Formats: sequence, C-alpha cells, structure tokens
Amino acid sequence: MSASLEKGVRVLKEVIDAPIASYFNSCVHCGICAEACLFYTETGDPKYTPIHKLEPMRRIYEQEYTLLGRLKKWAGLAKAVTDNELAEWQELVYNSCTLCGRCSVVCPVGNDIVYMVRKMREGMSASGHSPEGIQGAVKRTVTIGSPMGVKLPAVKAQMKHVQADTGIEIPLDQEGVEYLVTLSSMEIMNFPEYLGAIARIMRHVGKTWTLSSEAFEATNAGMQIGNSDLARVIVSRIVAGAEKLKVKTVISPECGHAYTALRWEGANLVGRPFTFKVQHIVEVLEEFRAAGLLKLDGMETDRLTFHDPCQLGRRGGVLQPQRNLMKMVAKNFVEMPDAGFMNWCCGGGGGASTIEEGEPLRLEAFKRKRKQLDAVKPDRLVTACANCRIVLEEGLEHYNMDLPVIGLTETIAEHIPD
Amino acid sequence: MAITNDKEFKAALATLDNCGRRQATAYLIRQALDLTPDTRVRAGLDLAVRCDASDAELAVAAAGVNSARVASYTQCGHDANWTCQASHFVARAAQECVKPEVNASGAWEAAMQARMARICQTIAAGEGTSNREAEAQYRALDEYLKAKDSAT
Amino acid sequence: MNSLQLLTWARGPGLDTALAVFVLGVLWRLFEIYSLGRKQDLSAPRHAPGASGWATVLRRSLPPPGMLPTSPVSYIGGYVFHVGLAVVVFLFAPHIALLTSLLGLAWPGLPSQVVDMVTVVTLAAMIAVLADRLAKPAKRFLSTFGDWFTWTLTFLPVLTGWLAVHHLLLPYTLMLAIHVLSVELLLVLLPFTKLFHAFTAFGSRWFNGTVNGHKGVAV
Repeated sequence: MSASLEKGVRVLKEVIDAPIASYFNSCVHCGICAEACLFYTETGDPKYTPIHKLEPMRRIYEQEYTLLGRLKKWAGLAKAVTDNELAEWQELVYNSCTLCGRCSVVCPVGNDIVYMVRKMREGMSASGHSPEGIQGAVKRTVTIGSPMGVKLPAVKAQMKHVQADTGIEIPLDQEGVEYLVTLSSMEIMNFPEYLGAIARIMRHVGKTWTLSSEAFEATNAGMQIGNSDLARVIVSRIVAGAEKLKVKTVISPECGHAYTALRWEGANLVGRPFTFKVQHIVEVLEEFRAAGLLKLDGMETDRLTFHDPCQLGRRGGVLQPQRNLMKMVAKNFVEMPDAGFMNWCCGGGGGASTIEEGEPLRLEAFKRKRKQLDAVKPDRLVTACANCRIVLEEGLEHYNMDLPVIGLTETIAEHIPD
Repeated sequence: MAITNDKEFKAALATLDNCGRRQATAYLIRQALDLTPDTRVRAGLDLAVRCDASDAELAVAAAGVNSARVASYTQCGHDANWTCQASHFVARAAQECVKPEVNASGAWEAAMQARMARICQTIAAGEGTSNREAEAQYRALDEYLKAKDSAT
Repeated sequence: MNSLQLLTWARGPGLDTALAVFVLGVLWRLFEIYSLGRKQDLSAPRHAPGASGWATVLRRSLPPPGMLPTSPVSYIGGYVFHVGLAVVVFLFAPHIALLTSLLGLAWPGLPSQVVDMVTVVTLAAMIAVLADRLAKPAKRFLSTFGDWFTWTLTFLPVLTGWLAVHHLLLPYTLMLAIHVLSVELLLVLLPFTKLFHAFTAFGSRWFNGTVNGHKGVAV
C-alpha cells in the first residue's frame, strides 16, 4: 500500500460516523437516487448513481466497523480498496457530483448521500485522487492566499473602478461597522458590478459596511476538494477579519459554496461558534425588504425566472427570500418546473466547474437545465451565484440559447432611485 | 470644448442619436482593442462604426461577440489570468455597441467595461491602480465629435 | 427425521435459536452502528417549520415532488409489499396466536380470505419489484448477490405460507415446516444483510432530518 493510499484510507476511516454507518446499512439499492441526479438522468449511465459513488468508502466502513466485515477481512475474503480503484472513482466523486444534494432529499430510507460524498472527498484528496483543477486552486490558496490567485491590489483596483462608476466610496478596513462584505473570486474577476450594486444598496438603506484587506475573499477551494485543514485556513481568515473589525454580520457573496463553507461548516472548521452572524446577501436584502428599507423604482416587464443555487436553497434553507425580492422588481416572474427546493443544479457546483476534463459531461448534464428553461421560455434568467451564472452562460452558449443571465443583487440595485 | 471628466463624458454621449452613439461607443472601445486577440470582437466593432448595418448583421455580430465574452470568463477556481480577463471585458464592452439600440447608459456601461479591461491589464502588470483609459476615452470621444461636426 | 419431527424442531429449538440470534444480532448491530457517534454542530442553527429529524422520519415515507413518475414500480410496488408483509405477519390469526404465546399480547386478526388475498397481492408486488430491478439500468447496476438473496429470503416465507395454507405442492406438515424454517432463516440473517434497513431506515431518516433541520431545511 502506497503512503498516500494509506493516508487516504486512514482519513476515510476517521470521517465515518454514526450517520454514515446508518446510511450504508439502510441502502436497499432501489436506485431512486439515480433518478434525482442530473448526471444520471442526462447520460443514462448507471455508474453515476449517487450511492455508487461511495462504494470504496462503503467497503472501508464494512471492513473496519462491522464485526462480519472484520471477520471477512481477517479471513482474507474482503476486497481491499486500491489506488487504481480510487483513481477510477475520482470522476464519480468530483466531475459527476456537484454536491447539489438532490439525492439526499429523495432517498426513501433517508440517506444523506451528499453528506457522505463531502466526507469521501476528504479521503480522496488525502490519497491524491483529486482533480488537477481543484488541486491548482488549493495550491494557490496556500502560496498566494487565494484559490484563483487574487491579490489585494486587484481588489483595490476594482474598488477604484467601482467608485468611478457609481460615485460612491468603497469602505476598506473600517472598524465597528455593521456588515463585513466578502466577495467570491469570481465576483472580483468577472463581476465588478456586484460590488457596485452593494455600494448603492447600502447607501440606499443607510447601513454601514466595509471590505477587509485580509478577508475580502470567501471562495473556499478547501471545502470543494475535501481538505478540511485547508478549508479551516480559509475560513479562519474571515473569522479573524470579522473579529478584528468587530462587525455584527459577515455577508457571504453571491456564491453557493462560499455560503456553505462560512455559514454551516465555518464554526465546525474553526472549532468554536462564531461571535458574528453570517448571512447570504439574499438574506440581507430580504431583511432590508421586510423592514421597508428598500424603496425601489419601476419594474422589469420582460419574463424573468430564477435559478436557485443549490447551496443557497436546498442545502442552505434560503428559498422564499429570493422570490420576495424577485416580485419587487419583476412584473412577469415565472417559475421553472422543480424550481425552489427541488431545483436542478447548473451542473458546475462543488468545484466541478474547475475541472477542465469534466466539461463535456457538464454540458451533457446541462440538458436538464435546458428542459427546465424550455418549459417556461423566459426572456432573462436571474440567479444569485457567480459560479452558477458562468456555468449557465456556457451551457446556454453551447446550446445556442439566447438568454441573458443576471445577478439578483444587481437587478435590485438597478431599481434604486438615483 | 474638450471633455475632462465623466460628467461631461456622459453628457456628450447623451446628445448623440442611436447611430452616432453606436459609432462613438465603438471608437471608445477601440482604445482598448490592443487587449483582445478575438476576431469576433473586432468584427463586431467594425460593424458598429458603420451606420448602415442592418439588424440582421448586428444580430450575427452580437452572437459572435457574446461567444467571445462567454469563452473568456475566468472560471471558478482557475488561475487568475488578468491578461485574458482584460479581453473578457473588451468583449463585454463590445456587446453594448452591437445591440439593436445603444442608449446612453449602454454607452456608459461599455466605456466602463473597457476601462475595466485596462485595469485588468495593469493588474497583470503588477500595478493595478492607475487608469489611463478614462483620459483616452475622453480624447477619443472629442475626436469623434469633432470629426462629426466637420462632416456636417 | 420425518415431517412432523422437522416441524416440531422448527417450532421448538429452531424458533428459540432463531429468535435469540435475531434479538442479539439486532442489538449488536444497532450498537455497532450508533455507538460511532457524531460531532456536535457548532454553526448557529436556523429554525424552520417541519425541519427536524422526526418530521423527516414521517415525511420520507412519501415520494418527494416529481419523483413518483420516475420510479412508479419502486414506490407503488414498495408500498404494496411492505404493507402486505405487515398485514400478513401481524394480522393473520395463526401468526397472532404465535406472537401472543411469545409476547403475551393479543389483538384481533383479519378474516383468512382477506389475508389470503393480501398474500397474493404481496407476492405479485414482490415479483414486480424484482422485474423492475432487472429492467431498470440503475437498479440492475447496483444489484449484488445480496439483493437477489434477500429478495428470496423475504419471498420464501410468504410463498411457503400461502402454499401450506392451500395444501399445495407438498404435504401440509412438510410445507409448514419449511415455512417456519424459512422464517427462521429470515430472522437469523436479517441483522446481517440489507434487510437490516427495517431498523436503520428510521435512524437514517432522523439523522438526515436533523442535520438538514439544523440549517432550516425540511428534507
């Protein structure tokens, strides 16, 4: 057994807990999880059945934690997990799983399959069987401090640009303000308009906020690859930044996994409850709306629909706020079939969009989104995740669908009276 | 009177008609054309400066520019390549001037995107703060307006 | 050993042994699984109506929105044979008599004609889900020896019971002995095969509901 495999197996052993043991014992191989997974429904290839993606981990569970399995192993009847096997499973655990969690909400015996995939990735990355794309992001996080290699000067340049565009000064490192705004790397790179929208909204509602020079980025490649040590390093930066500036609330950007990393995994990664609140920008906007602080002007009249980012909705519990906000600005808001809790993933979440060799599969899986869109034929598509947005645009482009994709926060900001 | 700030710049853009604004916007973006190698973007701008472009021609150009824009996104988790990112913003800017109608806010948007492209280039060069693009755009718009005046 | 002796053994020492293995097996397996524990969740919870472990234990008995048409045989066949098994096991008068002798509790049964009909429907549903397992690519792909084996383990007691009642195929005494033995085999193996989901499914649903309920998601 190679050293890396040994490490991977050890990590897999460590992450197995009572829920996982219960889940493995409950599976009756009914295959219903396959029907919930867009990688299976769009390809018809049974190897993409969600529970099958955990087979190596199941065997480790059986061989290490059950009496019968240990006896089998002792008698030499158990099939050990090998490097080759894990290499083969890499595609299943990363390329064809976006951690969207649809499988977890349909399993009749109640197995939280995505919970297990997240844990299995810990073992996969420890054994060296993680995709190069995410590995690169991880390496950059260690060496540069950012998964995409975004440095502070880039953020400062963008701040200046946004100031020129909106005429509003962007606060940096201001102590004692209410909100610490974080950005996803994608917003820094591709969507500077998000920062502009925040500036306009905050001025409109009269709230104090700041960016932080040490905690400006919320993207967490450590969580995507399944390396909790690294995920902890990234989250710790935000915790330190928030505590240093003594903010009440940290706003997670329009990015699904940043929200999961910060809101749900964060405190567990650093090993103590947070001293501040974490909210997704959509939750913050909803609070402003409910308090009557958003006094918007005019309505969009074309047909708009909303794509629920999995980590915000099904995995994050934010389902109604985005709808309330859409109705504030859209006269003609339509829902796709399965929208909300059962929405289908864009196909690129959970780090999948980082994997170059996974692109053909991603585009194949995008057919599901196409079907959903074809059912309502919207004029524009609104979402609240920068990664969804790019994956959606690439899919639309591939299938020659002329459908602009926009962010919810900017859409709201556009209706703020001058 | 030469344009020296964004207020005057916006006001000047607002005085133009649809065709004039399309042309002017294309000239503004051309200031940053060195930042993209994409022929689809160039073709779009070449079309936009012609006042006789048909809606069908514009639609074809818009599709090409849109493809260039989508293809040049930096994907989540990928290494930040600010030089490539500059070309993305040029494509985004170009998108505004191949729309059926170029309104004042669209023209301003395009100008801002082109400036963002230049910012990306400066980030790539390790500076990331100075922005010469605004001045270049003021001059380009001045020249365009002068040429237009003398033509009429 | 003749049929009668076989039946006598099955009803006596056989049953005692099977029950002992079953009870100890179940207890051991439950301990083995749930003693692994889990870490406390330190993130701030979000409360939402219907988002809890117990709610999921109940809710997961129904197909989530849009899922019934994707696997109609699994859902409908699954309901029919699970309910059918429960009816046959717990509401057939001779079974109640046996359970009364073991537990000291008694309850009214259903008329034997009704139980007979339920048995036939249960057998038909089991054959349907077996056919579905062969026909559906994902199901067939997942299937291992354990799936075919446990299907047989479950099917045999129902079939042999029905045959015994109707005095078909083999002499009554022998068929009854085989029926009792097949039940004992089922009891002995249940804790160590996927049939153990009869116990863990509730724990799994509870964990899933609790973990997601912490986030305010009613799964």
